[in-house]
Order: sequence, then C-alpha cells, then structure tokens
Amino acid sequence: MGMPVLALKGIDKRFGGIHALRNVDFSLEEGEVHALLGENGAGKSTLIKILTGVHHRDGGQMLLNGTDVRIENPLDARKKGIAAIYQELSLIESLTVAENIFLGHEPATSFLGTIRRSELFEASSDYLRTFGIQLDPRETVSELGMGQKRIIEIIKALSIQAKVLLLDEPTTGMSQAEIETLFEIMDDLKKKKVNMIYISHHLDEVFRVCDRATVLRDGENAGTFQVAKLDVETLVQAMLGRSLKEEFPPRKGTPSREVLLEAREFQAEGMVEPVDFHLHRGEILGITGIIGSGKSELALGLFGASRTQKGALLLEGKHVQLPSPSRAKKMGISFVPEDRKAQGLFLRLPVRHNLNVAHLEPCETLGFLSGKKMQSRALRTGRQLKVVPLDPAMPAQNLSGGNQQKVVIGKWLGNSPRIFILDEPTRGIDIGAKTEIYALVNSLADSGASVLILSSEFREMASVCDRVLVMRKGKFIAELEREGATTKKIMTLALGG
Amino acid sequence: MKPSTLQAGTSNARKWKRLLRGELGLILILAVIMVTFSILSPYFFTSRNLLNITRQVSITLIVAIGMTFVILIGEIDLSVGSIAAVVGVATAVSLKASGSLTLALLAGLGLGAAVGLVNGLLTVYGKVQSFIVTLAMLGIARGAALVWTDGKPVSRLPSAFGTLGAGYLGVVPVSTIIAAGVFVLAFLVLNKTKHGIYTRSIGANREAARLSAIAVTRYRILAFVVSGLMSALGGILITSRLLSAQPTAGEGLELNVIAAVILGGASLSGGVGTVFGTLLGAMVIGVIDNGMNLVGVSSFFQQIVKGIIILIAVLAKRSD
Repeated sequence: MGMPVLALKGIDKRFGGIHALRNVDFSLEEGEVHALLGENGAGKSTLIKILTGVHHRDGGQMLLNGTDVRIENPLDARKKGIAAIYQELSLIESLTVAENIFLGHEPATSFLGTIRRSELFEASSDYLRTFGIQLDPRETVSELGMGQKRIIEIIKALSIQAKVLLLDEPTTGMSQAEIETLFEIMDDLKKKKVNMIYISHHLDEVFRVCDRATVLRDGENAGTFQVAKLDVETLVQAMLGRSLKEEFPPRKGTPSREVLLEAREFQAEGMVEPVDFHLHRGEILGITGIIGSGKSELALGLFGASRTQKGALLLEGKHVQLPSPSRAKKMGISFVPEDRKAQGLFLRLPVRHNLNVAHLEPCETLGFLSGKKMQSRALRTGRQLKVVPLDPAMPAQNLSGGNQQKVVIGKWLGNSPRIFILDEPTRGIDIGAKTEIYALVNSLADSGASVLILSSEFREMASVCDRVLVMRKGKFIAELEREGATTKKIMTLALGG
Repeated sequence: MKPSTLQAGTSNARKWKRLLRGELGLILILAVIMVTFSILSPYFFTSRNLLNITRQVSITLIVAIGMTFVILIGEIDLSVGSIAAVVGVATAVSLKASGSLTLALLAGLGLGAAVGLVNGLLTVYGKVQSFIVTLAMLGIARGAALVWTDGKPVSRLPSAFGTLGAGYLGVVPVSTIIAAGVFVLAFLVLNKTKHGIYTRSIGANREAARLSAIAVTRYRILAFVVSGLMSALGGILITSRLLSAQPTAGEGLELNVIAAVILGGASLSGGVGTVFGTLLGAMVIGVIDNGMNLVGVSSFFQQIVKGIIILIAVLAKRSD
C-alpha cells in the first residue's frame, strides 16, 4: 500500500482536566472505507471535530497526502477536501435539490451575477445520473424522504471534489432500501477513489461496507482491524473491554399466560390496515419490521397520540374507550417515543423537570407541588437508571444520548406502569447504555409489567423479547416465540426474503 | 477526593454560573444602574422616590406577568396595549352607566379575558401563529376603543374609582400592593403548581408535552386568557390613575412589556423564564425611566439610552 491519504499520529487533546484523546493514531488508505468505532464518550466525536477544524489538537501530527496540515475551521476543512456529513442534515428545506447541491459554489452565473437555472439543473442531473438516482433536481428538498436527503447531502459534499468523506451515522432514519442504495453508492465511490470514514453504532453496516475498523476506548486506540478477518465478538470486546454475552443481560422471569391487553381490528392514522394482537402480563413483546412497516404509527395509536384511531382495545378482558394520552396514562400505559430529542425530552429544562413532568400527582398537596419531593423523586429515579452525571438541576441537553434516553424512560417510572411501550429504545446510543436499558426492561417485566418494544434492530429483538411479531407493509406476517426467534430468521421475514 | 464530593463541587460551580447568568446577574445590573442614578441625583435614593418607582412600574409589571405566561408557553401577545385601552373604555362606560364599581370591574376583567380567549382559540384551533393573531387583535381592539368613544376620552369618573391607580395605603401606593399580589400569585402558580410545570413544558417542547399526557390545548388557550386578564387589570389601573379612559392608552405598551420579560431572562422560543426575572426586568426599565427624568435627560434621548441599556443587559446575560 502507498502513502495514506490521511494520517493522524499521536493525536492528543485535553478539555480542562479531561484527557479526551491520548496518543491516538488513525490512517486512511487510498480507496478505503474505514470505520471509526467506540462507545459514546470514547473520543470519536473529538477526533472528528479535530479533523473538521471544530477543535484543534494539543499534540501529534496530521498528514494530508504526506504534508503536515492544521485545519483552522470547518470552512478550511472543506477547502482542503475534507467533507463531513452529520446525523443532523445541513440541507435547506425550502430550496430545490439542485440549489442545495451547488449552494455556495454555483456552476455558472450570467453577466449580472444571477444564477443560470437551466445550467444548474443540468449539472445536477448529471450528478444524479452518475449515482443512478431517479430524482428531479427541480424538486424541493422538503418533499424528499430521509434517505434521499442523505444522498443529496453526499452528492453536495462530492460536488466540492472532497477527497475525504466523513459519514457520521448516515443511515439514521433511512429505510432498508435506502440504506442499500447508500451502500451501492459507497461501493461506487470507492471505485472512484473517494476515501471514507464511516461512523456507526450498527455493526452489521460496518461489516457490510467497511474495509478496516479502528476502535477507540476511553480516548485511546483499542485496535485497528481488517474487517474481512473480523467477527462481532472481537469488535465488541475491543469497544467494551468485555464480551458480547454481557450485552444482553439474562432474562430471569417468565411471562404469565394471562392476557393484559388485546387489540382487535385496531388501526391508527398512518397504518395501512387494522391489526390484531395481544400482550400478556409480565411479557416482553417485540414488534419489528423495517422503517415504513407501520410500527411507529401503531405505537402512537396505542398511546392515543395519533389523530384517529379505530377498532377495539380490551384491558384485562374488558372493553376500554380508545385512549387519548391522558386516558392512556390513567390506564397505566407509558410511552417512550421514537425520537427522544423531538418527542421525548424537554432539552433545555432540568433533568428534575423531565423526570417528574409525566407524573406530578405524588408531589402535590392541596394543589401545590413540593420542590423537595420532586428533587428526591428525581434523585431516586436517576439512581435507579444510573443516569450519569446525576445532577437534577442540569439541563437534559447536557447529557449524552444514552443518558438522555434513560431520562425519557424514567419520566414514566413513577406512574407504576402496567404497560410500557418503547419505540426504538436503543437507537443511536452506546452499548453500555443499551445493556442498562435491557436490564431495566427485564426488571420491569419481572415486576409484572408488560413491555412492548418496537424496534428495527433485529439482534435486539431476538435477544430481548419473549415473543416477536414481524410486521411487513402494515401486516403481521409472523409470530415467533423466544426459542425460534433468531436474528437471521427475523431479518429474513422482515425484509421479505 | 471521593467521586461524590468531586461531583458536588462541580455542580456547585455550575449552580453559581447559572445564577450569575440568571437573576443574580440582573440584580447586579439593577444595582449598578441604581448606584449611578443615586450619584447623579440626590433625590433618587429616597424612600419617597423608590415607592414612586414601584407605582410607576406596577402596570408594566402586571401586564408583563401575563406576557410571561404567554412567552413561557412559546407564544407571543402583541394585543396587550389595545386590550388595556378597550377595557379602560368598557370599565369607564359601565361605571358611568351602572354606578357600581364591582360591576364595572367585572365587565372590564371579563372583556379582557374574553379577548384573550379569542386570541387563544384562533391560535390553537385556527392554527395561525400567535404573532399574526394578536397583531390583528392589536388593530381590532384599538379600533374598537376608538370607534366606541369616537376618539374622545371618557372622563368625569367618580373620584372613589381613582383609589386603585392613584391612592395610597399608608405610604404604599395601592397599585403597588395590587402588583405585589399579582406577582405572588403568579409566582406560586408558575413554580408550585402543575399549571406552571405544564406551561413551561409545552413551551420547551410541545410534542414531548403532548406525549407526556399534558392537556396541551387547554394550557395554551389559558395562557392567552391570563394575558388578556392581566392586560385588563393594567387598563383598569391606567384609567383609574387618570380618572379618565383614553382610547389611545397603552400605545406601545406591548414593546415595554416584552422587553421586560426578555430582559428577565425568558426565551422567545419558550420554556425558559421566571416571574422573578420579569419583576427585575420591569424594575430595570422603570428605574431607567425614573432616573433619567430626575437627571433631566431629554425624552428623545431617553429612548436611545433605554435601548442601549437593554442591549447591554441582554448581551451581558447571554450564555457563552
């Protein structure tokens, strides 16, 4: 192999008393996709921010095509050919696809300095065709799906002739088909000698698309591997410093056969057709399927939060009125929505507020709330969930993703929930926090509550649930008991193989 | 050091930082302004003048407290000054017609609450931004006051009515006492009741509030009703102080009131803010007005100075 396109040697970075990166090495060879892995807090984001000029290194070398460079700021990074695509998109929703692709470096202007729209559209069409995308460049970005937006973002980055492309959790919110298109584009880019750094919590994606993987742990190198010679066990071991078996804590209890909740011909807004299912007392029931299968709509509907609901719900064999969120709360139904930042948290408000807001009644005497009780309840729930750092007065936005998710779940723990609905409870959080959430799900079920998990992480479904219902295009197509629910089987069913 | 003590240490430092950026910072700013005026004018720091300031601030404060509810929930109410005017006229007219103070006050407060209710219904059910709804209401209510009175003040009100806005209880102005009562009530509601927690939650993230089983629609409408009611009380006090209902009363009041709330640390995007902050914000504006009058700054120049001081205060409190 020749000289690496990008080489980081002995990178050091401190924030006050915290040593965020310690002597970290990383190299990117010509034409490779290199995964950067590690738990939240392992130093991945710091390293990326140094690469893109958001932070500056305290020590070490950064060689770009063999010359030592210093990236001053994100604009400088782009000029030097390093483009980053973050989880949060940077597209302007109200502009067209073409305008977004060429924003800031429009291809042709007339003598008055105005943009020649026809040329803009033509140039964009060329790009789109190169990547085999069926899309009208005149389309407004707000009309597009998440996957298409992500691809436009990539094309935008490539239109500045980026040599190093950084992809941070690029598949967030994308459907399986869109993910496949993305991977095909990446394969194509690889042939065109575009070098990519790939960051993801989804190890299956790493195995599908990456050539090498560098793992960081606690701000230090924990190994660089050839993906072809690698297995999940080794990778997780490197990330965690412990073995995979510990990721999914063992389930001690068993569900009762008693039906707690039954849905008959239930259909909420956005669902293709009505569904029937039942949930046992003390059971962990998984509903899985790819994005677009209708499971999030079902979750919202069961909590009474969609605009329309039809059909019948039976609680302990008795018909109940279809829920509104406040009726659902009274019935002991708790709901952890799919998108914790947009739907779950009050980011700017204190952790104490977040943990108490859904269940203030116990802190109330004669209509007045006791600050002391709210504080002690927040501390108790926070300790139970191992929220770190546990400062009830701190705004929720200062917590890491995994700890934020614990707070969203903790919001409902005071409600002595009978039914817990969790929509994508471990999306985008590190393995340590995942394990803690699985342990909590187990203990909820052991204490007699029923847990309904809706997730598109098949490995999680196979390892955590007592029973799994597989959904495809709005229909339940299979029911698997714990013994028969292997990751491979669930995935095959969900993808329609 | 044990980890627990380490954590307590950093959280204490954080607490101080938070305090300085919040109310404590504003108290310091207020203190600096007061010391400056005390040096410039010997009359400024007398108990008589300080009580006078509280009377001058009372109306802004009352209306600003209503505005705090609206801003906390993530909305805005531009119609407060116009509501104050039309309520003043309604109160004066019913007082003259019925001769009953109770009836007149009920009519005025009822009208304010009703206009607030309309603002709320249009915003929530009509799904129009509150900026637009209340901008329209600003015109409608002001116009109604002008049409009703043909543009002339409703004067010669019974002098007993003047107690509310101009009277004193001992040395303390009655309107100061009313404002203090409103403040205590709002403080309790916002900090010690579900209503307060829910209002803040809805402002911080409406969707998360809905999915936390909060009755979002009800509280959003209620915020406008509270603002309408507080504007009405403000309008009644203005009318009482002048013993005359001016259809042009409270023009530009909304700007002073919004400035007080924002100065007090509230965020226009909702969720963040306190009534104590609003009190300090209203005091800063009131003290600047009073002090500059005493020092003899021309009224044209006063506006520039006030604008600059507001900018400095907001910039100084800005985080990061």
